[in-house]
Amino acid sequence: MITIEHLKKTFKKNKVEAVKDVSLEIRDGEIFALLGPNGAGKTTTMRMLSTLLLPTSGKIFFDGKELKPNDEQIRSRITFLTNEIRLDGQFTPDELADYYGGLYEMPNEKINSRKDELFDYFGISEFRNRRYDTFSTGMKQKTSLAICLLHDPDTIIFDEPTNGLDILTQQLIEAYLLKLKEQGKCIILSTHILDLVARMADRVGIIVDGKSVFCGTVAELPGSQGVETIDQAFIKLYKENHEEKAIVGRHGNG
Amino acid sequence: MRGVGKIFHHEMKKIVKEKSLLFGFILLPVLTLFVTVGISMLQPKSTGENVETYSMFFYGLDITSYNIGSLDDKQIWIKKIDAAPADFVTSDEFHHSDVLVDLSNIEKVTIYYYGSNTISSYLKMSAEAFVRETFDMAFRGQSSGASFRSVELTDINEKDTTNRMIAMLLPYMLILPLTANIANFASDTIAGDKARGTFYQVMLSPVPPLSLIMGKIFSVSLISLVSSGVYIGIDVLGSKICEAANVKDVFGFAGVSVSVGEILLILLYAVLLCYLFSNLGVLISLFCKDANQAQTAQIPVTLVCTLASMMSMFRFGTSPSSHYLIPVYNICLIFQDLLNARAKMENMAMVAISLLVLAVGVLILTLASYKSEKVRT
Repeated sequence: MITIEHLKKTFKKNKVEAVKDVSLEIRDGEIFALLGPNGAGKTTTMRMLSTLLLPTSGKIFFDGKELKPNDEQIRSRITFLTNEIRLDGQFTPDELADYYGGLYEMPNEKINSRKDELFDYFGISEFRNRRYDTFSTGMKQKTSLAICLLHDPDTIIFDEPTNGLDILTQQLIEAYLLKLKEQGKCIILSTHILDLVARMADRVGIIVDGKSVFCGTVAELPGSQGVETIDQAFIKLYKENHEEKAIVGRHGNG
Repeated sequence: MRGVGKIFHHEMKKIVKEKSLLFGFILLPVLTLFVTVGISMLQPKSTGENVETYSMFFYGLDITSYNIGSLDDKQIWIKKIDAAPADFVTSDEFHHSDVLVDLSNIEKVTIYYYGSNTISSYLKMSAEAFVRETFDMAFRGQSSGASFRSVELTDINEKDTTNRMIAMLLPYMLILPLTANIANFASDTIAGDKARGTFYQVMLSPVPPLSLIMGKIFSVSLISLVSSGVYIGIDVLGSKICEAANVKDVFGFAGVSVSVGEILLILLYAVLLCYLFSNLGVLISLFCKDANQAQTAQIPVTLVCTLASMMSMFRFGTSPSSHYLIPVYNICLIFQDLLNARAKMENMAMVAISLLVLAVGVLILTLASYKSEKVRT
C-alpha cells in the first residue's frame, strides 16, 4: 500500500509549484487511476513516487516505510513506464531483458523464464532477436512494457500506457493490467481516457492545479459531486478548484 | 559498486554497435595512415639539419664568442655557456651538429657530441685535439713528467635527441584526440541517452548512482584511450613505414627509443588523464539535453586542454615545481620529462596526486549533480 501525505514539489530552477498539496492512498490489488487536466501535476507526482524526483515537502510511505532518496530496496519493487521512456535502439529485446534483469540482480534462470512469459504474452517472441529501433511504435511500447515488468514489481506506475496504440495493443495491455491486479499488485494509472477509468479502475484520485481534490472509489465519484457520470464529476471538480485558483489570482493581483 | 560492471559492459556494447562512432574514431585514423604515408612519399627526403652555424660550446672557460673557420659553407663558432652541461645538451639550443666541452673538472674534461652526426664527430675530434694540446702544455709547464690524459668522450644517447622532438609533440598528439574523443563519447553516454529517453530506465533501477556514473566513466575512458592509442599506434607505424621506404618521416616517431618502464608510466598517466577528462565529460553531459548540446558545452574544455598541451611544446629546459600542479599542463610536462629522461620522482608523484585529487573532486561533483532536479527532469 502507498500512502502519500501532503506532497509538495517546487522546482528550484523556475520556482514553479508543480505539486502543491497531494494526499492519496493507493491499496494493493487495485488499479488506481490518477486523473487531472494537463499540467495538473500528475506526472510530477508519479515521478516522485518512482523516486526520480525528491519532494520539496510531504511524505510517501510504501507499506508503512517512508520513501528515502535513492532507496534501492523500494526501487527494486516498483516500475514506471511513460511515453518518454525508451530503450536503447541498438539492442534486441533479448539483450535488453538480460541487461535490465542484471541491473535488478535477477538470476539468469529467472530472467529467462520472465522473458519467455512476457515476450510470449506481448507477441515479441518472434522479434526477440531484432533491433529495438526497427520496431513499430506499438511493438516498442510492448517491448518497453515487458522490460519494465521483467523484475516482477509490486507497484506499477503507468503514465498514459495506451496512448497512441492501436485497439488490439490497447486491449492486450489492459488485459495484462487486470492480470497484475489479480496477482495483488498495486497499479497506478495516469490517463485522460475516462472510459478506461470506468472500465478498469477501482479507485480514483483527481489532481487539479497541483492539489488532490478527490480520492475514492470510481463508483462513489459521480455521487460525491451530485452528478451522474465520471466525466461530469471530473469537469465539476476541475471547474470548482480551478476557478477558485483564478479568483485567488485576481485577488492577489489587486 | 554493485552494477558497475553491467553498466560498463552495456555501454561498451552500445559503442561497438554504433558503427558510425567506430568508423570515426578507430577506422578513420587507420585510413589516414595510407594517405599520410602517400603524401610523405611525394616529399623530398630531409637533407639534414637546418642550422645556420656549427657551435663548439665551452663550459667553465671564460671566453667571448669567436669564429674559428667554416665548414660546408657554414661558420663554426666557439661559445661560452653558463647552464649546466647535462641540461644544456638536452635543450633546444644544442643541435646535432654541435659539441660541448665541459671544463668544470680540469682533471677530467668531458666532451659531449653526437656520434651519429658527421659534423659533430668532426668537431669532437678538433675539440679533443685542442683540449689535449692545451692542457698537455699547461701540465708540462707545471711539473716535470706530468701529462694530461683524461678526456671523457660522451656520445649523447641517440634517445636524448630523437626523443626530443616526440617529447615536444606527444602531449599535443595525445591530448587533442583524447579530448575530442571523450567529448564525443561522454556527450552520447548521458546527454544522448537523455535525448533518446533511455537514461530514465536506468535511473529507475536499483543501481547506486556511483555505480551508474562509474560504469559510464569507465566505458568512455576505455574507448577514448583505445581510440587515442590507435592514433599514436598509427603514427608509430607510419614512422616505421617511412623509415623502411626511406622517405621523410612526417609522423615524428622514427628512431624514438622508449623503455618498457617509460611506456608503462606514460600509459599510467594517460589512464589518469583519460579518467579525469571522462569524468568532466560526464559531468557536463549530465546537464545537457542532447549530445549536440553536450558537445558544444565541452568545446571550452577541449580548447583549454589543447592550449595547455601546445604551451608545453614551447617550454625550454626544466620547469619550476609549481608547474607540476597545473592540471593537464603538468601531465604534458611529465610526458616530456619521461621522454627526455629527466623525470624526477617528486614531480611524477606531484602530477599523479594532483590528477587524482582533481578526479575525486570532479566525481563528487558529478554525484551531487546526478541528484539534482535539472538532471532528473
